[in-house]
Amino acid sequence: MSEQLKENKNTHSEHRHYGIQTPGTSGVAGTKRYGMVIDLRKCIGCMACVVADKTEYDVPLGVWRTWVKVSEKGEYPDVRKIFMPRLCNHCDYPVCVRHCPTQATYKHQDGFVLQRYNRCIGCRTCMVACPYNARHFLPAKRTNMSLPHAVVDKCTFCIHRVKQGVSPACVQACVGGARIFGDLNDPNSEAAKLLATERVTVLKPEMGTNPQVYYIMADKDIMDEVHSYKHRSEQLKEEFNDFKKNHLGMQHGDLIEGEGTTKQIFENLGTFAEEIPHKFLEIGKALKRLVFNR
Amino acid sequence: MESKVIMNVFHHATWGEPIAIYFFLMGVSAGAHVISAFGWVFGIKRYKPIGLFANIFSIIVLLIIPPFLIADLGKPVRFFYLFLPGYWHGTSPMSWGSIFLILYTSFMTTYAVFIYKNNEKWARVFGLLAMTFAASTHWYTGVVIQLNPTRGLNHTATAPLLFLTGAFISGTAMLIVLFWIKNLIKFGERVGDELIIELGKVMMFGIAFEMLLTFNEYLQLTYGTDDEFVYLKDILFGVMQTYYYWLNVVALVASFVILAFTPLRKTVGGVILACFLVIAAIWGMRHWWVYGGQYLQTFF
Repeated sequence: MSEQLKENKNTHSEHRHYGIQTPGTSGVAGTKRYGMVIDLRKCIGCMACVVADKTEYDVPLGVWRTWVKVSEKGEYPDVRKIFMPRLCNHCDYPVCVRHCPTQATYKHQDGFVLQRYNRCIGCRTCMVACPYNARHFLPAKRTNMSLPHAVVDKCTFCIHRVKQGVSPACVQACVGGARIFGDLNDPNSEAAKLLATERVTVLKPEMGTNPQVYYIMADKDIMDEVHSYKHRSEQLKEEFNDFKKNHLGMQHGDLIEGEGTTKQIFENLGTFAEEIPHKFLEIGKALKRLVFNR
Repeated sequence: MESKVIMNVFHHATWGEPIAIYFFLMGVSAGAHVISAFGWVFGIKRYKPIGLFANIFSIIVLLIIPPFLIADLGKPVRFFYLFLPGYWHGTSPMSWGSIFLILYTSFMTTYAVFIYKNNEKWARVFGLLAMTFAASTHWYTGVVIQLNPTRGLNHTATAPLLFLTGAFISGTAMLIVLFWIKNLIKFGERVGDELIIELGKVMMFGIAFEMLLTFNEYLQLTYGTDDEFVYLKDILFGVMQTYYYWLNVVALVASFVILAFTPLRKTVGGVILACFLVIAAIWGMRHWWVYGGQYLQTFF
């Protein structure tokens, strides 16, 4: 079996782990490598996975751990919808881990790419590095302030459930059974069997990250970044702009299409200038707590 | 067959104005320090009198940077994690940068003290060290944006070179403008017109190199992949047109023409005009690198 596993190993991604990053375990005998196979023939776009995930983690408005991208293909009357569930790809060679300056994000030996909130400084360099937009920044103010805030968050493949022998929330909620989760190094797991028998594809394989979310029957257009930008419906364009206008406190470098770039950049600067005193007040309060122990 | 994306979630461009301004200020500081080193490190005597002024300006600019960087963090209180041994991460460019920034500031301050005390030997030693770390710190700003394969516009090995050259010319331009203001308001010792014109000539060589690199970048995008072409057509000549085309390209070329071919190059007024154009060009360059590079990915 080990010979077969060695053959399966993606040789293009070999030796791409750097520093403290855990070496890739995909196809390495004697190790676990959890991953997901998404059978798009069975996905009906019901968004149950998105809701399950939101509920499992109290994911705030405006950010997602998993989401479903939808496109429409064909011409009337021969039109069909195409779904593309998305989540963290738990890469074997995750660039986010490599870029994190405080070791806040790391790769678990079983393949999960995880985030340590207590170490995260909120610099968002991992978000810039991630090719899959799998990370999001939690808002500074949340209804329940004991939950992580103003740090980066991401999908964890529900490690807390997997360690108890339960499948991730999105997998359990999937009505069509499109999401299949398991140890890809275990040839008896359902996910590994699908990988061995079906033609699968991954998102952005050219990034050298060796992603571990595999898609069966994925449409090439919906997987393409340029297509996703160029061929958006007018309604989606409006929705994006409305979202950017109304989703306060999360502007960063966002630009609204069709409005003056310079004006927006100055507005971004204004928003940031307003934030500076608050941020330093926060530092002052922390120092006070540290010095006076209260 | 027609295919349209009808539903997706929006992803934010995660770095914004504070980062663009940080890149700009860091460049100005490093560039001004190089001018300061002309006299005290490389021994060109006519540059010695401006050494301390250039160095103090460089330090002041550097002191403006931390509030931008710290306030941009989600958890500003935790900024010191970047320096803690158990947290510091050797593979992260940001970790290298935080160390470079600290060393640069320390060496530059020590260098200023030795210039003030007129101690040539130690000023040279610390000036050289500070220059090395000025270059390293600004090199890292290029690298931190370069090492993201997913941001096609930024993922190019010319990034650090473009950033370093941009730093040199923007720092020089800013200093020349300050010398001019200093002379106008008669503050301290007057900086001679010849020196200002000479600095303009030095800046011109930097501008030429910057133009070459910018052209190289343009060529790569023109002959590049599908997404690189979108970056060029829809982003650089679309959303970021003011910053890329009008500021970075047109203003930079105009400043070069003034300094290389027109009689204005021999006048202080002409050099000052070129300086304003260079400052605008590099301001634009920092912005299209940060905003433009992240734009396409947000729709994926």
